[in-house]
Amino acid sequence: MKSRKVGIVGAGAVGATAAYTLAMMGTCHEIVLFDIAEGVAKGKAIDMAQASYYSAQGTIITAAENASDIKDCDIVVVTAGVPRKGDMTRADLLMINAKITKQVVENIKENSPDAIIICVSNPLDVMTYVTKQITGWDNNRIIGLAGALDGSRMAYQIQKLTGYAANQTGSLVIGDHGENMIPLPQKISVGDIPLTELVSKEAMEGIIERTKFGGAEIVKHLGTSGYYGPGRAIAHMVEAILNDSKAIVSCCTILNGEYGYSDVAVGVPIVLGANGVEKIIELELDSETEEKFKVSVNSIQDGIDILKENNFFS
Amino acid sequence: MASKVTVIGTGNFGSTVAFILAMRGSCHEVILRGRNVNVAKGKALDMSQAANAAREHTIVRAAEGPEDIAGSEIVVITAGAPRTPGMSRDDLLVKNADIVKNYALEIKKYAPDAIVVVVSNPLDVMTYVVHKYTGFPRERILGMAGILDAARMAHFIYEKLGYGAGQIRATVMGGHGDTMVPLPKFTTVAGVPIDDLLDSEEIGEIVQKTRNGGAQIVNLLGDGSAYYAPAKSTAVMVDAILKDTKQIHSCAVMLKGEYGYSDMVSGVPVMIGAEGAEQIIEMTLKTLQKTRFKNSIASVAEMVDILYSNGFFDDCNNKKSGKK
Repeated sequence: MKSRKVGIVGAGAVGATAAYTLAMMGTCHEIVLFDIAEGVAKGKAIDMAQASYYSAQGTIITAAENASDIKDCDIVVVTAGVPRKGDMTRADLLMINAKITKQVVENIKENSPDAIIICVSNPLDVMTYVTKQITGWDNNRIIGLAGALDGSRMAYQIQKLTGYAANQTGSLVIGDHGENMIPLPQKISVGDIPLTELVSKEAMEGIIERTKFGGAEIVKHLGTSGYYGPGRAIAHMVEAILNDSKAIVSCCTILNGEYGYSDVAVGVPIVLGANGVEKIIELELDSETEEKFKVSVNSIQDGIDILKENNFFS
Repeated sequence: MASKVTVIGTGNFGSTVAFILAMRGSCHEVILRGRNVNVAKGKALDMSQAANAAREHTIVRAAEGPEDIAGSEIVVITAGAPRTPGMSRDDLLVKNADIVKNYALEIKKYAPDAIVVVVSNPLDVMTYVVHKYTGFPRERILGMAGILDAARMAHFIYEKLGYGAGQIRATVMGGHGDTMVPLPKFTTVAGVPIDDLLDSEEIGEIVQKTRNGGAQIVNLLGDGSAYYAPAKSTAVMVDAILKDTKQIHSCAVMLKGEYGYSDMVSGVPVMIGAEGAEQIIEMTLKTLQKTRFKNSIASVAEMVDILYSNGFFDDCNNKKSGKK
């Protein structure tokens, strides 16, 4: 047994909120934050370390001086990447973020060779695929944050609509972590009651639409992306792995024949435990959902193909 | 990475430890190992169902045999016999040592990498027995003593003060029993030293109550002894190991020169982490506390000697040199 240590690459709002949440929950003994802007990682780490005086476990938070200080971690969360700006094409953004991810992941491979990687950089599914290719690790050790967040956004919509306790609401969102995501409110329950018993078909459609634009809605008000939801969702995944809770969480994972696809990363429900992805759950999809899933997978495949055409993997 | 904890003994104490772990989702699996497999199965089912009600992931299972403890990160030994009429203190000592010895051998064989948390009484002696029969490095064997005694002391301090519950940090060293060594000098309420809040007479009263804390509950219950605070104190240790918290708690460990003693188990402050008792902390004791600690050690040594003179360790490879 060794120290329970979580590395977080990128100390921006999402990375820092994930770190703070983990520290307050006391999920691990040590968190090490890294950011290219060194002062940011260090300042936030000190602030959180002082806050953890009041937390359950007194988690230690430090800043890494170099990327290589992300060492011997059980889990490394990768939040590094740039947002799309001005005249950048989708291909430009893909190449820039893939290169950042590659650099970060090569470091992790060298310094935390036994880690499980949680990928949070966007475009999420493609970056999860890049992480797999660069590490060459087993599929179970590469996981992307997708449904854990999108599902919480769906549960929020359901809570707002029904007024029932949010923490009794199921969550299930599959597909890519982008515009073709597939919220499946028709499959979930609130308490023990299927949501189909509680809301009309029209309301269901509204939940699906608002879930898909859950991220954009926050950007509209805030002028920047949300980070509390993502930070807490990351902490949920980290907790499930470190506590070996074998919880079902929708996550981006590499498929190997499941749902009829291989060699692509996409969001599906998985069992999260000490080994990372312990099992991929194959839902029965009706033909309409199957079709949506195909569109979603194709959109991810397009992104991967752009990287291939630009000789990223060669 | 943490997933499996075995609790040996399915009485009130062991069951409550398992229940606390399940309610907190501390680990994925709790194994209940007891002589009566059906009782263990019934309690395991009941607790697994409670875990679902609590929305926790912990599964509680009964061990059908010793092989089911394999793969445990931690094994908690709560097993022991109660003193029955006509039984001498020495008889009880040998009987419990025998029970603990058998489980120690079982752990050595089936869970050779486990950390052992001992709670069977007399605690310090039973921790010693586990050392001798597992041969595990000392950091992997911890007796639960000081956390419980400190919790009791904190309660009596609260009773006196009327405020600060949950903010009182008490420290108790030495043997778990009549010879415990409460350390009011190292006791604070939200950081305020206790002697700034109470006079020495009041503190003396609290120390006395703490010494009698276990007996007080035995007398009230009429049949049996306390198990809620003991079980919670044990769960604190299990959590500290599983979560690698590096918290400092008083635990009974094998001394190797610390505080001037060797090859003897007593309660001292240790840092608990993923490896068990990762560090033993040597505090500066005043003359009076040193004397009390010495008396405490002597009472444990006396019981250990009774076991040696009864030939208990004759078949043990790690027995103290110079002993038969």
